[in-house]
Amino acid sequence: MTLKWRPVIAFFYCQNIPEGGWEERLAIEKKHKGAVRLFPIPCSGRIDGVHLLRALEEFADGAIVATCPPGGCLNFEGNLWARKRAETSRKLIKSIGLEGERILIVEGTAGKSLDLMGLAEGFLQKISLIGPSPVLYPKDMPPGTGVGFSLKGESVHDYC
Amino acid sequence: MPAKYMIHAGQTPDRFETVTKSGIIAWEEGCLKCAVCVKKRCVYRVYEKRGLDALQMVDSVDNQCMNCLRCVQGCPKELIHKSVSPEYKALGDEYWSAEIISKIWYQARTGKIPVSGAGYPGPFSGAGFDSMWTDMSEIVRPTRDGIHGREYISTAVDLGGTPRHLSFGIEGALEVPTPKVIDMPLPVLLRVPSVGRITPNLISGWAVAARRLGIFLALGNEHINAAPGTCLSSLMPVVEEESLKCSAYPGTKIMELIMREDTHRVAEMLKTIKEPEFISVRIPVSRGVDDRALALAKAGLSIIHLEGTDDGRFLDDPTKSIKDGIRSTHLRLVEAGLRDAVTLLASGGMAMAEHVPKSLICGADAVFVDIPILVALECRLCGRCGEGLPCPVKMDKAEPVWVARRVVNLMAAWHSQLLEVMGAMGIRDARRLRGEAGRAMFFEELDRSTFANLGKTEEGCELE
Ligand code: SF4
Repeated sequence: MTLKWRPVIAFFYCQNIPEGGWEERLAIEKKHKGAVRLFPIPCSGRIDGVHLLRALEEFADGAIVATCPPGGCLNFEGNLWARKRAETSRKLIKSIGLEGERILIVEGTAGKSLDLMGLAEGFLQKISLIGPSPVLYPKDMPPGTGVGFSLKGESVHDYC
Repeated sequence: MPAKYMIHAGQTPDRFETVTKSGIIAWEEGCLKCAVCVKKRCVYRVYEKRGLDALQMVDSVDNQCMNCLRCVQGCPKELIHKSVSPEYKALGDEYWSAEIISKIWYQARTGKIPVSGAGYPGPFSGAGFDSMWTDMSEIVRPTRDGIHGREYISTAVDLGGTPRHLSFGIEGALEVPTPKVIDMPLPVLLRVPSVGRITPNLISGWAVAARRLGIFLALGNEHINAAPGTCLSSLMPVVEEESLKCSAYPGTKIMELIMREDTHRVAEMLKTIKEPEFISVRIPVSRGVDDRALALAKAGLSIIHLEGTDDGRFLDDPTKSIKDGIRSTHLRLVEAGLRDAVTLLASGGMAMAEHVPKSLICGADAVFVDIPILVALECRLCGRCGEGLPCPVKMDKAEPVWVARRVVNLMAAWHSQLLEVMGAMGIRDARRLRGEAGRAMFFEELDRSTFANLGKTEEGCELE
């Protein structure tokens, strides 16, 4: 089975940043099918290196985290810790030879709602330039046969 | 005394990680490294067993947390917070709330009554069924052997009309024909929901569940072939008026007709149909539903199905609840002396176990359960299937055996709750529960009788 590669990203965002809600989520899923997997989290401080790394390991070519603006975290320091962890994870993936850009952390702007669609599309574009993740699609395997194409026998694009 | 009706439930695990209310936020930064961390003292060992399902991105701390809040209160640096999981908040809609959905999941998984813990923190009254309370004055003490061990409580109901009286000849022989009724052990019928991705596997599982429960599954023409042949007698095909003549379903006992207009013509048409023996006529719950039901009863139809919207309202008036439609129809039939000549079925918005006894109290004989039999299969009512998006719980991969067991579990839990309510009300037979409005209180009526003579309150002026 050969499938054309489509980048898949994992998008973690803090639920406390105002965004377009369910409608926007559905609109993104509809437009990008399985390519953007959205994970709202209770606070960006909840994100752990393990979330980002496991996402890259299991299905995503890139992971993005959106936090509230500095000083805006309801739990005081969540966004600071999220940044720290994203950076640590980035160092980690670099040390194993992956591109550091596969992990991105963005901050919201005070008083403005989060542009989920815009951020997701921007990041998708960036990832398509970087190319398929060697974790999911190892170079020494024939095209279309990496983990990304057959997770437990199903394409990752089936998940939403 | 008939044999006791028991529904045998058994633990039937979820296929996917379930969405729970809990959203734990805990970080290590600033940790004092106490000798014994609160996380180590968790009685459920949630932190020790922590794991991540990366594909669904579900952290096990959320799913295993029992909300005792011991860790939140115990950490001296207050590094553990608890909030509501965003995925949980996104579940369902205003009527099919996240709480209702997660309770259905629990019941389908375990077959047990969900217990919410000490005290009821919810509002005192609400819209629809929430504005009525049942009279539980017969709760005297907790029994040693539970509700199942007490005296017999029957949840059986009959479908079909009964004569107003019997007459006997001189010899003592019955002069009127013996009434024909179907005896159902539970005042519930299953119905294929109007939402979700319905696959042949689901139909097959639901049909098996209906057969095991001794009830019926109402389904449209397009689904009939998906049900196993052995379950034919538990099916209730639903047909349109136009296709009534040409559709034959040998082996079925009951069928449903969606009625559009002209009562008399339909009544005449139905008289010509010999098989199946019982035909239910479905009419929408909208303004004048009581008059329409009365006309049908007068025309000699014996099973009438009142259909509300999926969130339990009138089709033409979202401010009115289906319970009012059932009540007014029931009372209209009582006034006309025709109540026992017809069976009233109701559908729309039956979301919780309590909606069954409440509908019965309002005057229905039995209710249709539709969306809950889909939610029992882990459906999140997210609507993705309607948009052509992949289903987060892969509904198309659900196996019939699993489907049947989940639905039987759900009904077992509802049956137990029905027994509890009836036991607490001191009613031993579901047929006696019908129309027992005197054993319930209605918020609107209480409000009117208590406060109506205080005069009109001005808009925006709230009493302290
Ligand atoms: S979970 Fe969502 S996509 Fe799946 S059947 Fe239910 S409503 Fe449809």
